[in-house]
Amino acid sequence: MSEIAELTPTEAVPAATERAVKPPQSPARLFWRQLRRSPLAVVGGTLLVVFYALALFAPFVAPYAQDDMDRSRFFQPPDRVHWVEGGRLHMRPFLHPQSPAGDLQDFAYREGTAVAPVRWFVHGDRYRLFGLIPTDRHLFGTDPPQRIYLLGADAFGRDEFSRLLFGGQVSLTVGLVGIAISFTFGLLLGGVSGYFGGWVDTVIMRSTELLLTIPGLYLIIALRALFPVDLPSQQVYLGIVAILAFIAWAGLARVIRGMVLSIRREEYVAAAEALGMSRMRIIARHILPNTMSFVIVAATLTIPGYILGEVILSFIGLGVQEPAASWGNMLAQARSIRVLTSFPWLLYVPGIAIFLTVMAYNFLGDGLRDALDPRKVQGGPTG
Amino acid sequence: MTVRTSASHAWAAALALVPLLLSGCGTSGHGQTSFKDTNPLPADTMTFAMDAIGNYGGRFVIAETASPKTFNAIMANETSSSDVTQRMFVGLSDYNNITQQDTPGLAKSWESSADGSTWTFHLRHGARFSDGHPITAEDVAFSFAVCTDSVLHSSVMDLLTVNGKLVQVTTPDSYTVVTKFGGPYALAIPATGSVPIMPKHVLEAAWKRGAFASAYTTSTPPDSIVTSGPWRVKEYRANESLTLSRNPWWYGVDPQGHRLPYLDEVTFLIVPDQNTAALKFQNGEVDGLDNVKPEDYRTYQANQQKGNYTLYDLGPSLNTNFFWFNLNKVRDPKQGPVMGKPITDPVKYAWFSNADFRRAVSMAVDRDAIIRSVFYGDAVKCWSLMTPGNKQWYTGQGGKWDYNPAQAKALLDRIGFKDRNGDGVREDPQGHPIQFSLMTNADNVTRVAMANFIKDDLAKVGIRCTPSPVDFNTLVTHLRNDLQYEAVLLGLGSATPPDPGMGQNVMRSSGLTHYWNIRQPHPETPQEAEIDKLIGENTATANMDERKRTWGQIETIINDQCWIEWLPCIRVKIPISNRFGNLQPSVIPHRILWNIDRVFLKSRARA
Amino acid sequence: MRTYILRRLLQLIPLLLGITLLTFLLLKLAPGDFLSTMAENPQISAATLDAMRHRFGLDRPWWLQYALYLKNVVLHFDFGESFSRHQPVFVVLREGLANTLLLAISGAIITWGLAIPLGVWAGMKQYSAADKGLSLLAFLWLSVPEVLSGLLLLMLAARTGWFPVGGMRSLGYDDMDWIGRAGDLLRHLALPALTVGLIPLASRMRQMRGNLLDVLRLDYVTTARAKGLSETRVVFKHALRNALNPLITLFGFTLGALVSGSLVSEIIFAWPGLGRITLEALQTKDEYLVMGSVLMASVVLVAGNLIADLLLAVADPRIRYE
Repeated sequence: MSEIAELTPTEAVPAATERAVKPPQSPARLFWRQLRRSPLAVVGGTLLVVFYALALFAPFVAPYAQDDMDRSRFFQPPDRVHWVEGGRLHMRPFLHPQSPAGDLQDFAYREGTAVAPVRWFVHGDRYRLFGLIPTDRHLFGTDPPQRIYLLGADAFGRDEFSRLLFGGQVSLTVGLVGIAISFTFGLLLGGVSGYFGGWVDTVIMRSTELLLTIPGLYLIIALRALFPVDLPSQQVYLGIVAILAFIAWAGLARVIRGMVLSIRREEYVAAAEALGMSRMRIIARHILPNTMSFVIVAATLTIPGYILGEVILSFIGLGVQEPAASWGNMLAQARSIRVLTSFPWLLYVPGIAIFLTVMAYNFLGDGLRDALDPRKVQGGPTG
Repeated sequence: MTVRTSASHAWAAALALVPLLLSGCGTSGHGQTSFKDTNPLPADTMTFAMDAIGNYGGRFVIAETASPKTFNAIMANETSSSDVTQRMFVGLSDYNNITQQDTPGLAKSWESSADGSTWTFHLRHGARFSDGHPITAEDVAFSFAVCTDSVLHSSVMDLLTVNGKLVQVTTPDSYTVVTKFGGPYALAIPATGSVPIMPKHVLEAAWKRGAFASAYTTSTPPDSIVTSGPWRVKEYRANESLTLSRNPWWYGVDPQGHRLPYLDEVTFLIVPDQNTAALKFQNGEVDGLDNVKPEDYRTYQANQQKGNYTLYDLGPSLNTNFFWFNLNKVRDPKQGPVMGKPITDPVKYAWFSNADFRRAVSMAVDRDAIIRSVFYGDAVKCWSLMTPGNKQWYTGQGGKWDYNPAQAKALLDRIGFKDRNGDGVREDPQGHPIQFSLMTNADNVTRVAMANFIKDDLAKVGIRCTPSPVDFNTLVTHLRNDLQYEAVLLGLGSATPPDPGMGQNVMRSSGLTHYWNIRQPHPETPQEAEIDKLIGENTATANMDERKRTWGQIETIINDQCWIEWLPCIRVKIPISNRFGNLQPSVIPHRILWNIDRVFLKSRARA
Repeated sequence: MRTYILRRLLQLIPLLLGITLLTFLLLKLAPGDFLSTMAENPQISAATLDAMRHRFGLDRPWWLQYALYLKNVVLHFDFGESFSRHQPVFVVLREGLANTLLLAISGAIITWGLAIPLGVWAGMKQYSAADKGLSLLAFLWLSVPEVLSGLLLLMLAARTGWFPVGGMRSLGYDDMDWIGRAGDLLRHLALPALTVGLIPLASRMRQMRGNLLDVLRLDYVTTARAKGLSETRVVFKHALRNALNPLITLFGFTLGALVSGSLVSEIIFAWPGLGRITLEALQTKDEYLVMGSVLMASVVLVAGNLIADLLLAVADPRIRYE
């Protein structure tokens, strides 16, 4: 999708060409001090840590597998977890299992009077934690055949909460994979282009123009077909993101080149040259580190683009495919008037997850920008 | 030897509707006439039976997901174009979507030779194109010539080819057309009826120049598009809207002799997103939707009164859903080194070619659950290409291999597919776990959902199935070119008319769409040889009793062999505004517009 | 200056050549062709498919098809015909491009028209409640997927009747006078333009704010303040002009993204634009239509970058092109 390619660079300020400031304190401590001054960034960062931890432990935290259907629970609304019954506080939380009420097509459910306790560390589906440790323990669950659907069920009677966690594994990873690849290439080629200039610069810059015009959407359609049919959809999608990121370095490279052009005129670069350091070493040791604060901020602000890109791809049917879950395809499933009016949890579960993640990254990126800005250390807030 | 005259048809239909006519809803008179019919009626008008006599004026707005690509009826190859061109160009015969029978069109009557290979059509006297130019046998011959032009190679050409021979058209006089097929032909009427009659006096020059395909494109000025049907183009805005206005010379009239159509205009709004179309309908900007998602049926049902519309239940769709296993052999050196060898892995080929395995799979699929979840309750079980919605061809047989997990397990045990290592997945006698991938096209939500259910159902009897939604073009490449797949879930849209002869390439072992084993040089199984013989008999006679008998036998064989694993078919419901009279929505496409020339805006309807 | 422009335009030739080759390869790499959909129709025989493939020239090897395409482009300036529409590709694309540009430019006006004043205001009142509130709001909107915000806006339009539910013109458009027409167009344009325009608002606003803060720290601004000029005067007379420069480069980038950036809005709001034509062409493998669309998008992108560079030269006298 071209959006992914376009959402990449330039989102952050190509801030500050003249920095080279010697901070009086250790940079790391300063950074933390600055970052803590921005409560939104701290909130965003914390939220992201929680989300990534949940995604990492998804098979353990999720009570069910992502494709586990229950035919008596199509569109079952979220279960309510109770602590108090008849004015009496219970030692462990419990729920009243729901059962279909009335016409099957109405998808109406009623809470019964039976009690299903919420149990911790129950046995359930077998899985491998981190792809390594085989186990069947899940953080919580209830006594089968009762089920606990904290966020309700989708059209197939699958647990929306479990799918949210498994979907998060894809949606939260795509951005990381994407920036890892595009930033490596963007930094290297941008640095080389800006430092060497001349024909190297011309070749690299013309290639970036070419890459910037390649329509990502065509690339996706062409590439999807090249992956083997039995490869899980998440992996196919990650593969595509990797390739898209491979062409997405172009925008970043252009910005980095601009920054390098001014940094190379700094005295310490001239000094390094006079000392006879190799040019690649100068780029790697002296020039690129000076772009780091920009790069970190840009990376933070680029990741949400990949998450939203997956949503758009799912919207036109090119994202992660069923039965595998992703936030994009969960949201795509909810784009119908019936769902919006009768089963709204299918909209707001993935919707809020995407919303919070994108916002968290933006808050964090914004906070990082302020925290990494060396001028603030010097002069403090102006105005 | 059948002699069918159209007059008897039309009268039978008209008589059946007389009571309705008499008790009609009383909107008589032509109160809101803005239209004055100044052109003389032709000698041979075509009188349409209808519920109520309408009045002139008004506009019907319909939402379409894609824009028409061309206004050239012969070059139109997809529905977004043919939905429009079918309103603009008539054929020799027409089709009644409600009775599902052929009706007269430009030809007022026809008869066949004793053997059913030569058909003579008698054209209406006085019929004219939208520019007032008379329509004669010349134009019919011209249209057939273009349709059978080997360079243009239109998509109706195959329908006009029997026993490898193209139809021969002669015109003994200006109002008689004789078509001679390569042999007795059951589909002669629908086949000839699908040739759109286009004006020779306008298009012949372009055809001779080799520029026919680019005549009547969407950028041709509307005034210069001369039509033979009830409508002509008034205005086209690319990807936005198309407005048709009445052809003032058309031959159709109502029972009181008023020229049709009643409506001044029909507008197609191009709305790619279904949710947007739904909102436009609720807002009154669109008068009818011809495609509604089953999950939205309930919402439409509930708001009928408030929105002043009706949700019409059109009954089971004519479109089928099914999946099958790949039994294809190498037919092309590109597909594999040894011609005639199975394409799939020999281990899997052994399972797939075992009829008991296919039956067990069929019995493992819980179709009721699919109906409840995927179709929100609005679907029916279906066991044939001719669905319960088909008034002529539905036989009601089938269902022998419906959901029965206990028996599915027993059958798998019997053929030696047992879970030997206790991992929940059966192994064949050689110890290979029973697993396969089920491919479908990712853009079709319903199919992907059904594949999910099948995976879940098969897991319960110990078979591992991996749904694999892929891009549509990828799917077609696997189906037609490299044949690299294990099982595919697909659907087949109905042809008009929904006749077994239209789908004969699915039945014939030599057919390109004989899904499970395409393009067999000779039928590989005795059952397929029998089907080939039966479908040959079926399409070479116009005797309906005989045709129904042979079709029933074909169904019996296919269902017994379980080559096709049948899935439910949807029940179609569509909402249309109550402001219009004479609506007769049908399950056959175009669901709303097929009789739009008879539809009228009720005079007392609120604006 | 003139030689600079000429050189940039000359550089366009290898670029466009590269793009057509890449796109063509990608199209051929993706499975299926224009006749794939028809191949699924049981009424169509293999012979018919072969004959049609021949008519469209799809039975030739890909390099020959590409060579013929190039030849027609170079010799006759003929970019091919759409398979489905039997019309020259640029006839098909022309109207879509005009509509897309209308939508995208309106979106850009909303983005920049809001981002610059709001960014300046936030910059002047750094760390105030207004500054924080503004960025919070902009970020909130940024975080709602367009797919969803579009649908919600449409539902709002349907519920309130304040705006039309998608489309570009009312049915009675032809009967209106020019004022009525303009009003009708604007009413239809409002929601999709808002959807397209508000998404990049957050980052553009933050950039404007950051740029202004950067400039406000420079020596000449301090000098101006020392001379006793009012803060408003300092900002608008001295700082703003320089703070705008980095945004001009960015504007060039956005120009390039104009063509493809509004696809989702075009679909949801039934806006008859280029994105929809291209997506459909891509799905049905209407190859020359896709090629034409890509070519058009790349020309717009390169032109956008060139315009940005020239604007920068006009705005900043220190920059010279020779």
